[in-house]
Amino acid sequence: MARVELNVSLNRVEGDLELAVTLDDGVVAEARTIGTMYRGFEQILIGRAPRDALVITPRVCGICGTAHLYSSALALERAWGAVPPPNATRIRNLCLMAEGIQNDLRQTFLFFTPDFCNPRYAAEPWFDEMMAAFEPFRGAIYLETLAVTRKVVQIVAHFGGQWPHSSYMAPGGVTLPADLRRISACRAVLDDAQRWYEQRIIGAPLERWLALDKAEDYFAWLDAPAHAASALGMLSRCVRALGLHRSAAGAKHMLSYGAWRDPATTDADATLLASGFYDGETGAIAPLDQTQINEHVRHSWFRHYEGGRHPWNGETIPNYEPGGDRYTWSKAPRYGDKVVQTGPLAELLIGGDPLIASLNALEGGGAWLRQFARARRIAHEFLHARRMLDQLAADLSGEHFIPPANEADGDGYGLIMAARGALGHWIKIKDGVIEKYQIVTPTAWNASPRDSAGQPGHWEQSLVGVEVRDPDDPVEIGHIIRSHDPCLVCTVHMLDTGRKVHFNA
Amino acid sequence: MKTLFWLQTGACGGDSLAILSAEAPSFEQLFASCGIELLWHPSLSHAPMKRFDALIENIASGAQKLDILCVEGSVVTAPRGTGLYDSYRGRARMEITRALARRANIVVAMGTCASFGGVHAASPNPADCIGLQFDRETPGGLLPADWRAGSGLPVINIAGCPAHPHAMTQTLEAIAQDLPLALDPLNRPSAFFSTLAHQGCTRNEYHEYDIEDLELGGRACLFYNLGCQGPLTQAVCNSDLWNGVNSKTRAGVPCFGCTAPNFPRETDLFATAKIGDIPLRLPVGVERARYMAYKNLARAAAPARVRNKKMDV
Repeated sequence: MARVELNVSLNRVEGDLELAVTLDDGVVAEARTIGTMYRGFEQILIGRAPRDALVITPRVCGICGTAHLYSSALALERAWGAVPPPNATRIRNLCLMAEGIQNDLRQTFLFFTPDFCNPRYAAEPWFDEMMAAFEPFRGAIYLETLAVTRKVVQIVAHFGGQWPHSSYMAPGGVTLPADLRRISACRAVLDDAQRWYEQRIIGAPLERWLALDKAEDYFAWLDAPAHAASALGMLSRCVRALGLHRSAAGAKHMLSYGAWRDPATTDADATLLASGFYDGETGAIAPLDQTQINEHVRHSWFRHYEGGRHPWNGETIPNYEPGGDRYTWSKAPRYGDKVVQTGPLAELLIGGDPLIASLNALEGGGAWLRQFARARRIAHEFLHARRMLDQLAADLSGEHFIPPANEADGDGYGLIMAARGALGHWIKIKDGVIEKYQIVTPTAWNASPRDSAGQPGHWEQSLVGVEVRDPDDPVEIGHIIRSHDPCLVCTVHMLDTGRKVHFNA
Repeated sequence: MKTLFWLQTGACGGDSLAILSAEAPSFEQLFASCGIELLWHPSLSHAPMKRFDALIENIASGAQKLDILCVEGSVVTAPRGTGLYDSYRGRARMEITRALARRANIVVAMGTCASFGGVHAASPNPADCIGLQFDRETPGGLLPADWRAGSGLPVINIAGCPAHPHAMTQTLEAIAQDLPLALDPLNRPSAFFSTLAHQGCTRNEYHEYDIEDLELGGRACLFYNLGCQGPLTQAVCNSDLWNGVNSKTRAGVPCFGCTAPNFPRETDLFATAKIGDIPLRLPVGVERARYMAYKNLARAAAPARVRNKKMDV
């Protein structure tokens, strides 16, 4: 048996990723994910004024800063007992949805589909079609995506002043109310983007697309010419032809913090799409319990502790130990000590999208279904963004900001579904300043290393069994890792010493 | 055609995403019609990484011409000056940056991180971050103060967190066309750093009459109480609106001074430090005594529509 140790680097993943992969006869037997950058955000926050988190944490990530800002604002609100008025929640949701549409389109058509324009596939019957649509800086859908996403983020700018990186959400609400001018401008942007999505991406009106609820109906739908010629139609046929719907399922369990706060209630935990933990063994969905979240460091270069620690008790104290079985600076987040995956597939499955549930029941998760769920989520984002605008228009005199009544010391957390999945911020405020801040990002869940029990993280699991034909151009690994929408800059704990590491299982 | 290589060091990707919002010219226009050939961009290139490896090798050896090197992100120098907290295949990115800069005709720092260190260099600076040719406001970052690129220019600092989309694409267009590029004392292209963020702010009338907000969420000026750095910050945010539609201060978000070498300030970012009633730092060039006399008069003269914050922003 030919055993090869392969170090794989990947671009187009928001940040940089290196993977240490063991191939047995060309098939991945083991994988370890290694982040290559350490910046120390959590340390920078300690000792600062609590609101500074609203400025510092969006800078964790340039593509999902709104989600970090939202988590920060929720964490401060929980610590201070502040309740945002309904219109503030509507504006926050609207901005998060716009950022989500931006992310889901760019992730799909700037980061994921370019792999199908790889010369490796030049002889495939679908190659010319994929090039015409998706070739970077040339393909029709690629160029249209650049134009459409540029407009969509205007929605965030209307309320936040700019995208990326602003700080317009604060404990108590948002800095700017809706008015007729902003609502009208946002609606125009949304209309155009939705029309493009309907005509070019799915080939049908939004309502018909969202009404599609069974796997077999989707496969039949793909045969209709308009649907077959749509970007998602082409992509589905191509990705399924490569068998990517049957590979790389990864972790069975899934986690969602629930998409978008419900503006109709003051219950900070109520969301428009349900939160929960999907048990991959039983198919049951249990209510979310944030006390079940912990982080392990057994295989990470941090000061040792036993088992997992909840983020409020967490610590980030580097402890580099070369030569042993610790191989990364990423912590291993777990839910009730279980390995989970998170992202649009988890969000829609737990949130109750029947088509995603049906496809998952029929074929299980895989690279195709993860990417498909991301494209599908855009429809939910359009639908709910329009609802937020309609509700704002109907309640223009509603408040948008209620200053916190007291800013006492305390603990808080903010849980958000970012574009890439479950994002949590945990804060402790003491003597009026930040005593502790811990961030657990979606990519930390998905890219986690082994934990105390030796369980590999989600990516590490999803790569096992994948056949790699050309170690110089491991496009198969690209398909799978990029289907997770990885964001290495988000993985704030990660750090690499640059040494090639070997994991001894 | 001028070749462009975009390198990310300790970055969040924010400048890459901001540049996608540029419209005149857009990022893609730089390659379609402005005479720039994109050799590599980490988020957008679709060639396999072996192409990246070959490029850095060929540029470093001189076999591949490099006209424009764009660097996004802080230069990470930890631990102990090795730079290995930010590595690529075991090699410090700090070293890759140095090797490429040596061969580039022009080096552009995209954003405040690459210019001055940025957020990652905030206290306690856990990764020992610096800028390309500045360490905060001090000349000399990764490259010494007297370092010059092939063109004779120092590192061009397009500061901002993120950099303004048009400050990036319009500078690149000017470089592609060999237009002269005037720089300010912080080596920022003067064209984008000769106005204050304050100029063009729709809250200016409130500022003139000294009608100030005490809490976020209001319509008035954010300078006196809420930490706004607009009158102290050179940036085009209010003269060339973000995403074509707005700016932070118009949206009621204080300007945090993100184009300055000291961003983020070490004090409470949502508060204005004062001596008595008077902000410690006054608008650029303003004399304290005259400013106070003028403010007292202005407040007394404020029309009711402004005093009562009736004017929309």
